[in-house]
Amino acid sequence: MKVYRVTEKKWTEYVAEILKEFKVFAPVKKENSTDFEEITVEKIGSIYYEGTTPSTPLKAFFFPVKENVVATEQKQARVILGVSNCDLAALDLLDNIYLGGDFMDHCYKENRDHTIIFGKDCDDLKETCHCTSYGLTPYCEKNCDISMSVSDGYCYLSPLSEKGETFLGQFKINDNEVFDCLPEKVIQKRTAMAANLQSQNINIPDEKASRKGIEKENKELWKRHASTCVSCGACSMICPTCHCFLLIDLKDFEKVKNWDACQFAGFSRVAAGEDPLMKLYDRLKFRYLCKFVYKPDMFNALACTGCGRCIDACIGKINKNEVIVEACGQG
Amino acid sequence: MQELNIYKPIRAKLIKIIDESPLIKTFVLVPEVEFSFKTGQFIEVTVENVGEAPFTPSSSPLETKQLEITVMKAGYVTDAMHKMEVGQYMGIRGPYGRGYPLEAFYDKEVLIVGGGCGFAPIRSLLYNLKAISDKLRKVTLCYGSKTPGDCIYKPYITELRETPKFEVYRSVDKTDESWQEKVGVVTVLLDEIEIDVANSVTVVCGPPIMMKFATKKLLEMGYPEDKIYLSMEKNMSCGVGKCGHCAMGHYFVCKDGPVFTYDQIKNSPNIWM
Repeated sequence: MKVYRVTEKKWTEYVAEILKEFKVFAPVKKENSTDFEEITVEKIGSIYYEGTTPSTPLKAFFFPVKENVVATEQKQARVILGVSNCDLAALDLLDNIYLGGDFMDHCYKENRDHTIIFGKDCDDLKETCHCTSYGLTPYCEKNCDISMSVSDGYCYLSPLSEKGETFLGQFKINDNEVFDCLPEKVIQKRTAMAANLQSQNINIPDEKASRKGIEKENKELWKRHASTCVSCGACSMICPTCHCFLLIDLKDFEKVKNWDACQFAGFSRVAAGEDPLMKLYDRLKFRYLCKFVYKPDMFNALACTGCGRCIDACIGKINKNEVIVEACGQG
Repeated sequence: MQELNIYKPIRAKLIKIIDESPLIKTFVLVPEVEFSFKTGQFIEVTVENVGEAPFTPSSSPLETKQLEITVMKAGYVTDAMHKMEVGQYMGIRGPYGRGYPLEAFYDKEVLIVGGGCGFAPIRSLLYNLKAISDKLRKVTLCYGSKTPGDCIYKPYITELRETPKFEVYRSVDKTDESWQEKVGVVTVLLDEIEIDVANSVTVVCGPPIMMKFATKKLLEMGYPEDKIYLSMEKNMSCGVGKCGHCAMGHYFVCKDGPVFTYDQIKNSPNIWM
């Protein structure tokens, strides 16, 4: 493993250089959160690497809220900085769905191909962060082009893909001091953060135990938790792995791919009126079955990466982890 | 793997519209690009500026110059289709999904149980079975509809009755003086037919409630679960296993179906809805 060490000051100069050739997106601090924003030269100083997971999931870059899939535009090369591992882990599932099988989604492919992803170490955690519950780490070792750790005034950059290696060469970032591993201090920070997450989430069942709990019949539990659901779909919209969409038809046979969610009424309704997910509690349970049973079986990938966004976003105060703890605890 | 834009339909000109019943029409389409499908596969049909819906062609898969879809007026896309006129264009994408495994029918009797607009995919299958009838023992069609006026493909039924190795039985739920055949739900026909269950396969296509009771009856008759082929209907958008709408337990009906054997899906939730 190669690790290039760049001072934070010099890194901002590199970002300015990168901006001349790429669109750059990075997390920026908001009042109570961080979120991805397009970066301009003036905004380089406001990039916030230390925060927790940005509100918008990474998927929005590859699977935008709305995208014309017939009259596709030329994609512009872009760089996304500061991506957390919970978002990167979601790419295992999304890539499998959109790029795999007999048919490839060309829009997703082009969006992926035109993007350089910088992963980051999470230096902070929210109450709802729980990636370690599902065997993930709060730092990245795959699914990004370059991993970046910030510590003591330095950025440590490790290329994790050929694309990442080429990119570092393109901007001569590889002219900097190179090491064959991360410094002890970064490793300690990573380990400490993982330990914090584990102790914060000691009661959360892992994905296998969660599955067992969710598979139980337990209608009363789903009815009770669904009683505060307003079918807004926020949990799906904000989820890094939710991939559902609806094609909307326009003139000249153009089509727009719009985010859709199984929590919306009518998601499964057929023309004659039958709807297997007509009841709200069936929709809620379906969401959990999809994440912990169907998707792992169908695509051999996690469909919940423990980002905690669905808990943060739920206006009905449905806490996914509390639901699962309860489901696992009942007979 | 297909590298093209999977969402872009090809234009298909509407050259003929056949009124099958008050609510059902057959549209004959000529695609601008050569288009073929296997029986039981479906296509996504777009009405420009309105929407898109999946249909299994009702024409012969051996016919590649034109294709037919039989459409019941049931929602906003099908309503718009019913208002279309000859000369207009629909968009088509596909073919998608896995159709009927015809090789599994060789040397066997084929019992087909259909209801209502479920006759559409069945007609395509029947055309194909006729073409390979030397490899089959017998084909028995049991078809049910609500009233005599709802029976579709009347000329085709006449033709089929004159075809060697093919037998046709029909029933209606509610009769009138014009009806000379059986009265009752389609499963009543299954008590009448002579069939060598041990050497046959069965295909079911129709409204979910009919499929549920037909499957129950077929199991009682002794059909093994893996010899009952079901054409499943679910809400679909993309048709290619990406959009999530047609999820049925561990399957996406669009890419893993729409034809399943009963043993594949019997433990999936809500298969009859």
